[in-house]
Amino acid sequence: MTLSQSATGAPAPAAPAPAAAEPFLRLSGVRKSYPGVLALDGLDLEIRPGEVIGLVGENGAGKSTLMKILGGVTTPDSGTIEVDGVPYAALTVGGSLRAGIAFVHQELNLFDNLDVAANVFIGREPRHFGVLNLVDTARQRAAVLPLLEQLGANFSPDTPVSKLSLAQQQLVEIAKALSQDARLVILDEPTSSLPIAETEKLLAVIDRLRARGIAVIFVSHRLGEIERACDRVVVLRDGRLVGKLAKDEISHDRLVKLMIGRELKVIYAPPKADRGAVALAARDIRTAAYPHHAVSLDLHGGEILGLAGLVGSGRTELARAFFGIDPIYGGTLVSNGKPIRIAGARDAVEHGIFLVPEDRKGTGILLDLSVAENISLPNLTAYAVAALVSAERERGQAEQSRSQLAIKVPTVDTRTGSLSGGNQQKVVLAKWLAMAPRVIIFDEPTRGIDIGAKSEIYRLMRALADSGVAVLMISSDMEEVIGVSDRIAVMHEGGISGMLERDQFSEENVLLLAVGKPVGSGRNVQ
Amino acid sequence: MKHAMTFTALVAASLMLGISAQAQDKQQLAFVVNAASDFWKLAEAGVNKAQEELPNYEVQFRYPAQGTAALQNSLMDDLVAAGTDAIMISSADPANSIDAFNRIAAQVPLFTTDSDAPQSDRIAYLGSSNTLAGVQAGEEMVKALPDGGKCMGFVGFLGADNAKERIAGFKQAIEGHNIELVDVRGDDVDFARARTNVDDVLVANPEITCMVGFYSYNPPKIYEALQAAGKLGQITVVAFDEDPVTLGAVREGSFASTVVQQPYEWGYQGMKLMAAYLEGDKSGIPEDGLIIVPTKVINAENVDEFEADLKAKIGG
Amino acid sequence: MSKKDTGLLVLILVVAAGVYLRNPLFLSPNNISNTANLIGLFGLFSIAQGFVIITGGIDLSSGSMIALLGVLFVDLVGNKGVPWPIALVIVLILGILLGLAHALLITRLKMPPFVVTLCGLLIYRGVARGYTGDATAGFPFGSTYPGLDFFTARVYGVPTSLLLLVVVAVIAWVVLHRSVFGRYLFAVGKNEEAARFSGIRTNLVIGAAYVICAALTALSAVFFAMYTRSVSPSSQANFYELYAIAAAVLGGFSLRGGEGSIIGVVLGAILLQILQNLVNLLGIPSSLNFAVMGTVILIGVLVDQQLGVYRAHRRLVEAARETAD
Repeated sequence: MTLSQSATGAPAPAAPAPAAAEPFLRLSGVRKSYPGVLALDGLDLEIRPGEVIGLVGENGAGKSTLMKILGGVTTPDSGTIEVDGVPYAALTVGGSLRAGIAFVHQELNLFDNLDVAANVFIGREPRHFGVLNLVDTARQRAAVLPLLEQLGANFSPDTPVSKLSLAQQQLVEIAKALSQDARLVILDEPTSSLPIAETEKLLAVIDRLRARGIAVIFVSHRLGEIERACDRVVVLRDGRLVGKLAKDEISHDRLVKLMIGRELKVIYAPPKADRGAVALAARDIRTAAYPHHAVSLDLHGGEILGLAGLVGSGRTELARAFFGIDPIYGGTLVSNGKPIRIAGARDAVEHGIFLVPEDRKGTGILLDLSVAENISLPNLTAYAVAALVSAERERGQAEQSRSQLAIKVPTVDTRTGSLSGGNQQKVVLAKWLAMAPRVIIFDEPTRGIDIGAKSEIYRLMRALADSGVAVLMISSDMEEVIGVSDRIAVMHEGGISGMLERDQFSEENVLLLAVGKPVGSGRNVQ
Repeated sequence: MKHAMTFTALVAASLMLGISAQAQDKQQLAFVVNAASDFWKLAEAGVNKAQEELPNYEVQFRYPAQGTAALQNSLMDDLVAAGTDAIMISSADPANSIDAFNRIAAQVPLFTTDSDAPQSDRIAYLGSSNTLAGVQAGEEMVKALPDGGKCMGFVGFLGADNAKERIAGFKQAIEGHNIELVDVRGDDVDFARARTNVDDVLVANPEITCMVGFYSYNPPKIYEALQAAGKLGQITVVAFDEDPVTLGAVREGSFASTVVQQPYEWGYQGMKLMAAYLEGDKSGIPEDGLIIVPTKVINAENVDEFEADLKAKIGG
Repeated sequence: MSKKDTGLLVLILVVAAGVYLRNPLFLSPNNISNTANLIGLFGLFSIAQGFVIITGGIDLSSGSMIALLGVLFVDLVGNKGVPWPIALVIVLILGILLGLAHALLITRLKMPPFVVTLCGLLIYRGVARGYTGDATAGFPFGSTYPGLDFFTARVYGVPTSLLLLVVVAVIAWVVLHRSVFGRYLFAVGKNEEAARFSGIRTNLVIGAAYVICAALTALSAVFFAMYTRSVSPSSQANFYELYAIAAAVLGGFSLRGGEGSIIGVVLGAILLQILQNLVNLLGIPSSLNFAVMGTVILIGVLVDQQLGVYRAHRRLVEAARETAD
């Protein structure tokens, strides 16, 4: 495969873009292993000014190790890192900063009790009055203003970061990188938490960075965006560079094939039987967040109901109300035809209503507990003999779950926090499957999970539905919603704006309902 | 005629109010202590007795929330602000409260008791001489151990003035009589630790033949430890103050004797002294400003009489 | 026994050996018996504190509760002539009620445990002082109560307080490390929200921890009252909760919750009492009591931590050597 040289486009007015596209950063034969794992196996990579390089690979492929080495946090076992032609065995954090490498992590590192300008200059605040060493807020502000303009930001340097949206906060991180004269900005999964409109803006920002001669490494699972934004793509698998695609060679299928080494068809799997009776119904319930909307929704056994909507449309609030975490004001929940009261999660669990929450690490699993301990937790008394937990029974169930769901873990006593996102999600699922689910609610089930694990989870959801369970899937991923659901309900500002049957599925229809507009062909719910 | 009646009624009413208002203006005397203990309950009884004999005065007895000089000093400020006319205080740390004392003394007559602050502007000290009390205790020990012995002392705050003076007086009296005060163990008024200290000494220092309990709760702990170890009567004990257990031990002969202060007298005489002072009678104030109320030795002979007297004073 | 517990045990043995070499009377039967008694007294309410700390909470009111309940017990038996078993039951029930109050304020009204139990610390001692008018509550001289000496008795030199501690420690170990409730305690301490999302009734679990703590503290209040035989409400058990917290922290409890070992907290209590004992046995001036305690604990924890770092480093180096081949 050849690498097409992508010369930077329009010369930026401010920063001088080098005419000859010489790489300023070159990794050769970089190797890194941890106890029992070979993370990087002889990696070669060149980075030129003004290039946007997509970095793609499944979890565990070596992406984060590569980033840690670039950031000077980890030292490679062998190989060289050349910065401006000078070879190093390893970078230090300071060296990485001096080389102009900046990171925008998936979990942003901003201080939400400070404003934008303070965050951009944190640790490097301009001072005045000599001995008194006071922060020169005026100079700080003046330095940040042009950066924000360059990025097309619609907020001022005085804005408290806590008031900014996720997308705006990302811009603050990028501004921080620019203020450090970054030559390379590494964006780690920047769009996975962004709504659609903001994603466009971020891609535009990447264009601006390219125009200024700044290189960008764009790490993402969103292959569509990779296709659109990148000049070339580098694919990692098992620590090795298995593919370098030039701009014209980038395609969804090719990328997936390289990542997992096989053809993957994301095909809609239809249900094996007609949908069954209503397992759980909400009748005119109101949540605390949206008290003005009465929501009615039927969850049928045997059906995967997708719940779509923009961020803030009230989907998670609905899920939390179903699961008893938040109280409902008005209306009733009806389970198997009988009205029920769900005062807390325990009540929901006892009715066979389970939730796989959005915040996997915060509320889905307990990171410090082992896989077996997490799986047994909701039903612990079933594993107990005379109020004492039987390790045997617990492990037995854990081994069963492990093979049933193909959870990749050395032993079931491994700390769950050390598993990859996909495997952690499987543990969350395992703990509910070990009981007898009637209704399972998934809230953003595949966020931050690689393609291979994603399809496994879809398969599990289908199998669940086919066994009679009512599945509610909340998702912001359009591909996922359209590709996996049997029916789609769309929420808008706290209420249900419409339902779509399979023959009405399209991105356009979903978006229309999501913004509250009526759909051409399809039913509307008031 | 009607108006005359109303008028008279009004005048009578205002006169009565005026008289009662004046009656509220009794002079106020305060007795401030440094800790909550039964010892001070005796002083309180003395103060209350004095109140009976001082109908034109209002006496108060105040415990601070905690036994720190800082709290005591701010308590005194509050009392002065509320109109107290004279204060007698047993300070937790007189040496470091000179400024506070002077501030109070500038506004009202200030007297000290129990622990003195002679460098301050206090008018007089009324209390025991801790040094003399220590000497008495030492003399008792000499009487009880004619052949000499090795003693261990137990106290609450090793650094407190009253502790230091008692220990010094004790050492002074045993000088040259073949008796040695090997060490004094402190417990910071933690009763459990006070007891543990004695237990540990019994284990670690078998050469000890006598013990001294310098604070009022130390002798009972010594008694209980000796009892538990089966050594009552084998170790000679001289005590301070009049805890019921201490008196019982003296009565039964397990303790040689106890040196008691007379906190009842401090309270009683203190109030009368301050009242007299406010009336202009300074005759009770000696030149050196030290009014020493002597400590008494209570042994098996006079313990019954003493206890009966105590009961009468507190009960009455 | 975990690595941390082993480290603590080693520290205890090292300190004990050192004291023994300086003064062999350290291991005399009387001293062992005395120290064992104190270990029993302090260990009991240290275990109590452990249950609360594991949920990520804290109970600052232990010392004041010991003062209040101790004063009540002595007053009921010594002055009011209540038969001591009845007084014991009254005191235990009162302790449980106080624990329930803590539980309700913390779980229902969502008040921070630090604030609730700090108020407890202030209120209980104040009530104790008010109850006696600041006087010391004591038994009349020479009074004996049949059966009451159980609390201070020694069976072949082994104090009943230590025997009770062993019983309570065994039960506590089983509950915390093997039972369903114990697992819930760990889960709630590690991540209360995630525990709730797994269907655990977190309020019940946390509330139970505070009730257990208060009940065990009430029991130790009676033991302490019988040990000192007179209770001064203003000074009894002053700041003792710090002993409990120190023992728990030494024993591997994290103040953030979710970690801890019963063996550890008992070892911690043992270490603290040995340190107190050595000050007297070696004739160190009493004023340096806490300085000695703090220094030994600091050095011990430091050495233990550094050993842990060294061990982890060795493991990585060895593992790297293996995979490099």
